[in-house]
Amino acid sequence: MRIFDLAVKDIRQIVRDRKAFLFLLAMPITFTVLFGIGFGGFHAGENADLRLPVGWLDEDNSAASIAMHAMLSQSQVVRLVDAGIMRNELMAQVDEGTVAAAVIVPYGFGGQLRDGDVIPLDLLADGSSQAGFSAETEIQAAAQRLFAAARAAQISAAIAEAHGVSADYDGALARAMAAWSSPPVTVYVTETGFSAEDQTLLGSANAFANTSPGMMAQFAIAGLLSAAQILTLERKSGSLKRLLTTNMSRNAILLGHFVAMFLIIFAQMSLLVLFGQLFLRLNYFSAPVATLLLITMSALFSASLGLLIGVQAKSEEQVVMYALVAMFVLAALGGAWLPLEFTPETFQRIAFMTPIAWMIDGFQEISVRGLGLTAIADSLLVLLLFSVALVGLALWRFRSEER
Amino acid sequence: MAQSTAIVATTLSKSFDELKAVDAVTFTVARGEVFSLLGPNGAGKSTTISMLACLLRPESGDATVMGYSILDDPQAVKACIGVVPQEIALYEDLSARENLEFWGKMYGLRGAKLKQRVDDVLALIGLTDRQKDRVDKFSGGMKRRVNIGVALLHTPDVIIMDEPTVGIDPQSRRHILDGVKDLNRQGVTVLYTTHYMEEAQELSDHIAIMDQGKIIAGGTHDELVTIVGEKDRIEMELSHSAPELLSQWGALEGVEAVSAENGIVTVLVNDSNRILPHLFGAASQHDVRITSVTIEEPNLEAVFLHLTGRALRD
Ligand SMILES: Nc1ncnc2c1ncn2[C@@H]1O[C@H](COP(=O)(O)OP(=O)(O)OP(=O)(O)O)[C@@H](O)[C@H]1O
Ligand SMILES: [Mg+2]
Repeated sequence: MRIFDLAVKDIRQIVRDRKAFLFLLAMPITFTVLFGIGFGGFHAGENADLRLPVGWLDEDNSAASIAMHAMLSQSQVVRLVDAGIMRNELMAQVDEGTVAAAVIVPYGFGGQLRDGDVIPLDLLADGSSQAGFSAETEIQAAAQRLFAAARAAQISAAIAEAHGVSADYDGALARAMAAWSSPPVTVYVTETGFSAEDQTLLGSANAFANTSPGMMAQFAIAGLLSAAQILTLERKSGSLKRLLTTNMSRNAILLGHFVAMFLIIFAQMSLLVLFGQLFLRLNYFSAPVATLLLITMSALFSASLGLLIGVQAKSEEQVVMYALVAMFVLAALGGAWLPLEFTPETFQRIAFMTPIAWMIDGFQEISVRGLGLTAIADSLLVLLLFSVALVGLALWRFRSEER
Repeated sequence: MAQSTAIVATTLSKSFDELKAVDAVTFTVARGEVFSLLGPNGAGKSTTISMLACLLRPESGDATVMGYSILDDPQAVKACIGVVPQEIALYEDLSARENLEFWGKMYGLRGAKLKQRVDDVLALIGLTDRQKDRVDKFSGGMKRRVNIGVALLHTPDVIIMDEPTVGIDPQSRRHILDGVKDLNRQGVTVLYTTHYMEEAQELSDHIAIMDQGKIIAGGTHDELVTIVGEKDRIEMELSHSAPELLSQWGALEGVEAVSAENGIVTVLVNDSNRILPHLFGAASQHDVRITSVTIEEPNLEAVFLHLTGRALRD
């Protein structure tokens, strides 16, 4: 009962502290949104255009050049940038690297193609760069298709003419091109920076799926500043000694503070999860029991860390220092800032030595992969073990002060 | 254990590293009295109190409070004492009432009883009007009063106060000293520490003088003063110097010594009340006017000086 009274007193002090709100809610929400938008918002990968920009200059304006444009527009490798500028400017852009390559359809291209001549497309690309090479390969493949289609159209027109039917070369070309748009084999080109696997992953991911739990984990630690400072202030003011002149034991005092920290962080995380569910299109509620347990264990871990910091710090400044160091190290290593999929394997292995990575992973199992309790059991266990270790350490440190 | 004693400390000792902060301290506080530990900074007063309040384990020795041993039964000891720490041990971001309510709960009070005691204590410390204000908005004296109030909530038999008047204005100090006397009149035993000899003198039934971890003298105020063996000291300024007058004064019965220095005449006497009229009478005979008189009775300051060769306050 008195443990609970102590916790209520702490919570009253925390709630009264304006800066606590800054760390508990204002900052995590702001950073979740900002980081999320930075990583592509709701449509990370889905709408983010990862294709190589290729300059396009059409001096011909024929059926053939339009067909070529249409075909390249559907490419998964290149993205046409309608330059509408002069040749030399386009060349400068290639040199600068603003575009990976440039295609110029010269005047008379359609006519020459119709006559069965060699394709006179002008292709500017830096073949030594990966991007230039990829773009060049893709454009050449498209040109080959156009050439083949032109041949087919030529033949069908010739046959029609031989049979006395009026020859419709343009119509035949369009039909031949249409056949290419549903090719029997799809070729994936992987030189565009992300692997095909990454693309499917990103395609389905909402960037908030990482920043939401990441910032939650980070600011659960920052949010403990006020709570941990209560412990150091209590020591400094002599209130701790006075508490010890009542019948409260050291264990009970520590437990009271721990309960307060847990409840504060539990409330913080619940609100942040609710925010994610309502405004960030994260489906935390797909597995409510799992989410609740994960919040509980995460809050337990954060409170344990806060308790140890409060016991260990000699002054309020030290609380700030310990909390910020813990926050930055754990958040950076644990993947709160950068999705671990983007990091090398060694880094990922290190990340999963921090409870933060397990926390984020657990939330993503639910919100991204739609999984439930069994999928997050490992995360829950890791968080519990860390909590037990930290609380044990805090208790031991606190008891050893006794003289 | 005799029913008449509240605290019995027996050769209590405590060291911090090399420093012997409390060295075989022994004293007895009777029930219903005010007992003062008087000593300069670092004498070991707070350390002694911490041991009595079961905050520090004595290295050797033992003590009983209301018959319970601080070593064997600390919970029982804690239940019958209220401690006023030297520091302002409050939560400054909570109001006076919130502090009292919180501490009351820590002392095990609940519900209507808690509310009643908080109201009583607020009235006692004269802060009923300011109960909703945060403690960090209070003056030093008001904070001290709340600090004391907290220790009274659970109506303890013994109140241990550690320098409760340090650094406050005379008015708040008066309020606190009167409060201590009131409490004592209601039968509460008070163990009071201070380095102000006037406070010890005014409040206490018994005083122990402490220095460098040891109790160097103990007893009632009057008993202590006789240690010095010094007389009342009368200091006077005269309208003009008159050697014949001084020799006449020196011959009066009850006058121990007369000396003059820098225009100030000092007369040591057994009883200033009885002698003074004779001094004035002799002065009139010699046409000398006494322009100022100061009477100093022997005090604890003098006792401390006598015993240690140092002043009580720096
Ligand atoms: N926790 C501690 N660690 C080390 N030394 C201590 C500790 N507490 C007290 N001391 C030392 O023990 C001696 C007695 O200190 P104590 O606080 O009991 O004196 P005090 O009579 O209460 O003085 P004051 O009037 O300044 O409060 C001092 O020299 C002090 O420096
Ligand atoms: Mg002291």
